[in-house]
Amino acid sequence: MLQSLALVVAQVILFLVVSPFIVGVIRKVKARLQCRRGASLFQPYADLAKLFRKQPVVSTTTSWIFTATPYILFASTLAAGLLVPAFASQMPLNFAGNIIALVYLLALGTFFLILVGLDAGSAFGGMGSSREAIVASLTEPAMIMSIFAIALTAGSTNLSTIVHKTALLEGIVTDPSPHLMALAALFIVALAETGRVPVDNPATHLELTMIHEAMVLEYSGRYLALVEWAAGMKLLVFLTLIANVFAPWGIATSLTPAAIGIGLAVYLVKVSGLAVLIGVIESMFAKLRLFRVSEFLGVAFILALLALVFFYILRG
Amino acid sequence: MFQISPQLGSQLVDLCAALLLLTCFAIVAQRRLSACVDLFALQSVFLAATAALVAFLTGIHHIYVAAALTVVIKAVVLPRILKKVIERLNVSRELQMNINVPAGLLVCGTLVILAFYITQPIIPLGFLLTRDSLAIALAIILIGFFTMIARKKAVTQVVGFLVMENGLFLGATAAAYGMPLIVELGVFFDVLVAGLIIGIYTHRIQDAFDSVDTSKLTVLKE
Repeated sequence: MLQSLALVVAQVILFLVVSPFIVGVIRKVKARLQCRRGASLFQPYADLAKLFRKQPVVSTTTSWIFTATPYILFASTLAAGLLVPAFASQMPLNFAGNIIALVYLLALGTFFLILVGLDAGSAFGGMGSSREAIVASLTEPAMIMSIFAIALTAGSTNLSTIVHKTALLEGIVTDPSPHLMALAALFIVALAETGRVPVDNPATHLELTMIHEAMVLEYSGRYLALVEWAAGMKLLVFLTLIANVFAPWGIATSLTPAAIGIGLAVYLVKVSGLAVLIGVIESMFAKLRLFRVSEFLGVAFILALLALVFFYILRG
Repeated sequence: MFQISPQLGSQLVDLCAALLLLTCFAIVAQRRLSACVDLFALQSVFLAATAALVAFLTGIHHIYVAAALTVVIKAVVLPRILKKVIERLNVSRELQMNINVPAGLLVCGTLVILAFYITQPIIPLGFLLTRDSLAIALAIILIGFFTMIARKKAVTQVVGFLVMENGLFLGATAAAYGMPLIVELGVFFDVLVAGLIIGIYTHRIQDAFDSVDTSKLTVLKE
């Protein structure tokens, strides 16, 4: 009992502490590739601390949704993070929800963000909301199907079970082609859902094409800090999902201190590696036109569908 | 020399073949001509890796030669020729297609399922290392064929043709552990010459019609 409690608390702290670092890593990689020195890896922490000290300004035209959303977003993203095994494969909270719960916890945050974009009544916010709704409706089927493809091979929708079984290579039909298809699909979904470059540009507040930044344009002070922290955590949830569902090796499958130590180190290396990869992708590609985003996400959808169909054809 | 268990070996070959299929989808979704050529070069590198892996697992040495030739001709020489053609043409992307990208992706998905469905009864009969690769090879051939139909620009049609050729090579490696070396050399030479001729021919289309849109070839010109 005490042990499970400690594990949960450890994972909460891990997600809170590591997520700004991951954002810092991506910014650093982008800066280095642009021949700039870039801000320190720990700059996002300083930004958050600064924002928490500032007084928030709330428009008089907004409703309660505006002030409630940062907390809802933060809490739902953190809860989603607790369902994904990060450094130990058996999370004590795994009874609380499976991958479907994970997807819709993240969707809950997105839904409230869309409402907030409309709430203040600014033209930018409304535009951002309508775009976010397009992207969200296109990513959801691809994400659900790619995760189902993995769930089918593992024989469970519980993330802890999936990761545990894959890490031990136990009772799983390891078939590379559906796994690869699902991985590619989930990676595209992760880029779109977290507002990364081919779909959205997280580095600017001054573009007509922005999506996420347009919705949160009205926020300031601690509300903005919570929204940005939640965005960082959402990114970390996706990176953890990709790293541990597709390559869980190294994760602690038993609860000995040595195994947990190794699991933690391997986990940090894996998510940092993925963050570097995202930084490189952001530097290599230009943002897509909004009307081309549906094609990009169409690729993800088809790949996820194929991953799912492969399972039935190959094992049917 | 270290040994790989046949189970793991067959999974590695399947993994490489699946990478080939992934690049196929990227080509179908890609509008920029030079990026299509780059993706084809990448696909050829994966093809060479698959062939080298099969050569290593089976100990048939002449497949190594085929793998090396794949890298030289399909990943270096042909992409260079095509890049030169694109440079001269002054078109960087393809905006009009016979079948648009989202519909094309759906068609390709169906083609892959079809390929798996057709080959599924055959695969358990053999005892080859390369189980799913035959199905993937057939899928790649079909997608290459589809690309030739869906696209209008001569350059992307050439890429479709070359993708088909990659699929055939993968099929030969998967189903029969490669063809005799002399046949493979002949095929490589053919592909190279075909690439050269099509490159020159594309220039001629450009000169005669001021466009590489092949749908204009149906119109008579004096």
